Amino acid sequence: MDAKQLSDGLATRFPGKILGVDPLDGTLGRIRFDPAVATDLFRSLRDDYQFTHLTLVGATDWIDHREVFYVLWSDTDRLYLVLSANLPTDAPVIASSVPIWPSANAHEREAWDLVGVKFEGHPDLRRIFMPEGYAYHPLLRSFKIHEPEDLEVKVRSD
Amino acid sequence: MSGQAPEVPRPAVRPQTDASPAGDLPLAVIGQPGVPFVEIETLRAREFIPAAKEALSSLLKEQAQGKLIRPVFNWAGRNSLFPLHWGLACCAIEFAAAFGARWDAERFGVVPRSSPRQCDLLIVNGTVTWKVAHKLIALYEQMPEPKWAIAMGNCATGGGPFRTAYSVVPGVDKLIPVDVYIAGCPPRPENMLDGILRLEQLIKERGE
Repeated sequence: MDAKQLSDGLATRFPGKILGVDPLDGTLGRIRFDPAVATDLFRSLRDDYQFTHLTLVGATDWIDHREVFYVLWSDTDRLYLVLSANLPTDAPVIASSVPIWPSANAHEREAWDLVGVKFEGHPDLRRIFMPEGYAYHPLLRSFKIHEPEDLEVKVRSD
Repeated sequence: MSGQAPEVPRPAVRPQTDASPAGDLPLAVIGQPGVPFVEIETLRAREFIPAAKEALSSLLKEQAQGKLIRPVFNWAGRNSLFPLHWGLACCAIEFAAAFGARWDAERFGVVPRSSPRQCDLLIVNGTVTWKVAHKLIALYEQMPEPKWAIAMGNCATGGGPFRTAYSVVPGVDKLIPVDVYIAGCPPRPENMLDGILRLEQLIKERGE
């Protein structure tokens, strides 16, 4: 399988929802997709193209939008594939990939905790690195680092 | 390596109102001028327990029990500090080394215990994140009184290199009262022993 084959196949299956395929070193390529078809695209890639393993899920804050990216691994073709989707800053919501690849669980919690991307359908979307009740997503560009002297310490002890 | 060891002067702790029999110098004398004191002579181990029992029971019969018994517990407590065996980061390696054969912190009566309910000393050895902060407080609150805390290393003292990070507590004294700070990244076991001895001095001065 090459990138051309894959992008043609996906374009006929999801017309207008595959926004582009870029070359990326060490992988089959990077597919940019519309977040509206996320679940169907994930299921198709797992069942029809044998991308059975999800290596990581990450997110980035680009100030005017946020980007979610997925790295997939195919055992049959021994190839990596990168997916990416742009989300609006005011509603950074995308369907969860946990029902298709359970290994996404902790990765999506991390992306929610640090960058504030909401994954709809995640079974347990709690914070993972920061304590429960923390008010910020610290890897957003808008996050201000507090001077330690200004900290107001409120810790629940139970 | 030859011959005669240099003569080490023994501390002259015997008070003026000397009621003890003449002979060997006592190992230690606890008490204040003008009040009765307990004298613990140089005893063999099998003689020590009945002697200590007798001294304590005679003290308990005194009317001003609290005032008299306090120095005994102060002496016993500061010479048998039990820290919690709780490692947070790389300082825990030095903490562990201090209890190994080379530095042997147990000769100062310091024995790490695995339960906070058996401890009176919390050595915070490493970076404290906000995620673990409430567990640290819970451990401290489970320890029985009287209790003390040592902030070991730069991270526990003031956040260290992670001082401005979003996830790190900038100094463990934001969470619990700290008695002794040990600098270093990480501090060597000698520094840790020095900190423990300073804490013993502090407990003696405060009379806790």
